[in-house]
Amino acid sequence: MTCKNKTGKPEATWLRTELPRRSFLQTALAGGAVASTAYLSLTRDLVAKESGPIVIGHQCELTGGFSSWGYWHDKCAKAAANLINEGGGIGGRKLEVPVADTESTPAAGARKLRSLIQRSKASFVVGSVHSGIMLASIPIATELKTPYFSAGEATEATGSKGTRYSFRTGTDTYALAAAGAPWAFENLGKNWTMIFPDYAWGHSHHQEHRKLIESMGGKVNDPIAVPLGTRDLVPYLAKIPEETEVLFSVFFGALSVAFYTQSKSMKLDERMKMYSVSGTIEAIHPEAINGAAENVFFLENFPRPLEYKNDEYHKKFIEMMDIDPVHAQENGSDRVMAKSHAWQSYENFFVLKKAIEASGWQRNKDTPGVIEALEGLEMENSLAHPQGAKLLRGEDHSGMIDCYMSQVENGVFVVKRRIPRAEMEALLPPRYDFREYEL
Amino acid sequence: MKERINRTVLLVVLAFLVAAPWVLPAIGFDYWLDILAEIIIWSLFAASVNLLFGYVGLLSFGQALFFGMGMFGVAIGIAKLGLGFWPALGFGMTVAIGTAAVAGALAVRLTWHYFAIITVVFSLIFYFLALSAKPLTGGDDGTSFSMPAMLEAGGFELSLTDPTVQYFFILSVAAAAYFLKYLIVKSPFGMALMAVRENDVRASLIGLNVYFLRWITFVIAGGFAGLAGCLFALFGRYASATYMFYHVSGEGVVWTIIGGAGTLFGPAVGTALLIVVREELSNIWEHYPILVGLVVILTVIFAPKGLMGFWNALLDRLAPAPADRASGGGRPNGAVDAAAVPAERRTGP
Repeated sequence: MTCKNKTGKPEATWLRTELPRRSFLQTALAGGAVASTAYLSLTRDLVAKESGPIVIGHQCELTGGFSSWGYWHDKCAKAAANLINEGGGIGGRKLEVPVADTESTPAAGARKLRSLIQRSKASFVVGSVHSGIMLASIPIATELKTPYFSAGEATEATGSKGTRYSFRTGTDTYALAAAGAPWAFENLGKNWTMIFPDYAWGHSHHQEHRKLIESMGGKVNDPIAVPLGTRDLVPYLAKIPEETEVLFSVFFGALSVAFYTQSKSMKLDERMKMYSVSGTIEAIHPEAINGAAENVFFLENFPRPLEYKNDEYHKKFIEMMDIDPVHAQENGSDRVMAKSHAWQSYENFFVLKKAIEASGWQRNKDTPGVIEALEGLEMENSLAHPQGAKLLRGEDHSGMIDCYMSQVENGVFVVKRRIPRAEMEALLPPRYDFREYEL
Repeated sequence: MKERINRTVLLVVLAFLVAAPWVLPAIGFDYWLDILAEIIIWSLFAASVNLLFGYVGLLSFGQALFFGMGMFGVAIGIAKLGLGFWPALGFGMTVAIGTAAVAGALAVRLTWHYFAIITVVFSLIFYFLALSAKPLTGGDDGTSFSMPAMLEAGGFELSLTDPTVQYFFILSVAAAAYFLKYLIVKSPFGMALMAVRENDVRASLIGLNVYFLRWITFVIAGGFAGLAGCLFALFGRYASATYMFYHVSGEGVVWTIIGGAGTLFGPAVGTALLIVVREELSNIWEHYPILVGLVVILTVIFAPKGLMGFWNALLDRLAPAPADRASGGGRPNGAVDAAAVPAERRTGP
C-alpha cells in the first residue's frame, strides 16, 4: 500500500511519520484489543484448570512368561482406578488407565510404553515388573519427560540407570538383601551357598547378599550359576558344599518349581536351611508343588495370610482382589495372587494421585512439580496403601517398606518376623541422589 | 506403463516419507512417526534376509545375531566404552560385519536346511553368551544408555532426542542402504549372485567362485542386519539379548516372504504391513499373533510370490507392455525380478 507525499512521490505507508487521528484511534483500539486478548489468554493460562481426564498408563505383562503375575498387576490397577474414580477422581478429574501388554519382552514393552505416552497421551506410567522391560523403558520415559513407576527388582532402575523420572515403591535386590540377610544370618546360618540361573537377577542377588553376609563375618561359598535352558538341576545341586548352612536360591517360574522339587528329592532341606525371596514362589501355591517348598524361608513384601497384617485395609484389599485370606488364591479359580509385587500396581496410582493433587498439576508442563512432590513422599497405612506405611525416599526414588520373613509350614506362609522399614533403611544408604539431576 | 506406475508409486511413497514428520502430527498421528521409524529399521533388517534368500537362495535364521551385534556394539560403545555417537555407530558396524565374516566363512559351506540350521545354532550360541555376560551386556536386563549428541559445535547440538532429527537420520541411513542394495543387485556382481541362486553348479562351471560369492553376500547381509541393529539401539536407547534370538530372524523371514523375496522393496512392504497390523491389533486383543498368523497364511496361499509379486502380476494383467500385448503374454520386460522367475527355472539340472 502506498500514498503520495508532499512532493507528489509515492511513499510506503509504513514509512510515514505523521499518523492521522483516525488511524491513531484505529491503531490504539486494535492494540488495546490485542493487548486485552493477550492478557486474558495469559490470565486464563495462569488460573485455568483443565477439566478432561487424567491419563495414567499401565504397562503390564498380560501375555508371555510373566503373565501369571501380569494378571494380578492388571487387576490391581483396575481396582485402584475404580476406587479413585468412585472417590471423585484425581483433583476432581476422572482417571483413565489405558493398559498396554508388554508380551513379557523388552522389545514389545518399550514399544508399548511409547504407545501409552504418545498415542494414549498418558501423563504418567505405572510400569512393568519385568526388569528387562523396566530398564528398556526408563530412558524412553525420561526422554519423554514422563514419570515412570516400575516394580522390577533390578537395582539399576533406582541406581546406575535411574533418572529423575524413574520411581519404585517396592524393593530391589539391594533392599531385599538389607531386609532379609541379617535375620537369615542370625537365625539360619553363617555359611552360605547361592544357586541361581546364569542371568542378571541371580547375579544381582548374589552380589548384594555376599557383601552383607561377609561384612557380618559369614562365609559365602562360590556361587553356582546354572546355565540357561537347564532342566535337570541335579548335577548343580550336587555341587553344593557339604558345610553349607544356608542355601539361597533365586529361580523363576518353571525352573523354580524344578529347583524346589529336585532339592527336596535330594533331601537338601534336611542338611541345610533353604532361603529365598518371594519372587521365586510368586503366583505359586505351595500345595501345587506337592510340598516341595515346605520349610523353605521366603522374604516377602506383603504377607500372604491376612492374619500377619490384620487390619481393615488389608482385609478390604483382599476383598477387592477376590482372594482367600490364607493362600491369596482367587475365589473360583486356581490363580494365586503375586501379592509381594502386584500391590505396587495398586498403590502407585494412589501415590501419583497424592503427588498430583499436592503439586496442583494441571497439564504436562506441571510434571516437575509432581516429581518434586513424589521425592520424599510419606504414605500412611490406609486403603490407598494396604501394604503398609512407607516412604518414597527422595534421593534414590526407592520405596522404604516393611518386609516379612516367612516360612512355609503345612502349605501356608507363616510369618516369623516382621522386618520394620527402619531396620532395612539402616543397611540401605542411598547410592544416588537423583534430585541433583535437572528436570 | 508398468514401470511408470511403479515409479509414480515410489515417488508418492518417498514424498510421504519425507513429509511424514509434518504431516503425521498435523493430523494427530504423531505417535505413528515412531512406528514409521521402526518400520524403516526393521525393513532394513528384512532387506538383509532378502539379500541372502531372494538373491543367493540361502535361507538364514541367524540374521538376528548380526542385528544384536550391531545393537550391542552401539550400546556397549556408548554405555561402557564412553564412545561418542559416530564412533559407537562405527563400532557397532565393525562388530556386526566382523561376526558375519567369521560366521559366514563356516556357514556358507552349507546350503538349504543345513545352512538354515547352522545359522540358528550361531544365533543361539551368541544369544546365551550375551545373556550370561552380565558385566558386558547387562545379561537379561540388557544395556540402556543416554543418547550422545550427533554433532556439537559451539552452542549448537544435533541429537536424536529430537524426534524429527531421529526420523530423518534413520530414513537417510536406510535410504542409503537401500540404494547400495539396488546398486548391488543391478551390477554384474548381483547377476552373478542370481546365477548362483539359480544353479550353483552351472555358475561354478562358468568360472564364478560360488563360495566367495555366498560368503561376501553373507557378510554384506550381516552388515545390513547390523546397521538395522545399530539404528534400533539408537532408536530405543537400549540393547537386549532378546533381539538376538532366532525368533527375531524368523520375523525377518516372514516379512520378506510376505512382501516378496527377491524384490528390492518387497521386504519393506511386508514389514510395513505386518507392523501396522501388529500395532493396531495388539491394542485390541492381546492374542493378536493368531490373527497375524492368519494374515500370513492367507498371503502365502493367495500371493505366493508375496505382495510385490502380486502387485507386479496385477500390473502385467492391467497394463501389459506392448511386446507382451502383441504376444498375449503378461511377462514383464527389462529388469530381472527374482520373484517372477518360475520355480521350474530355479531348480533345473
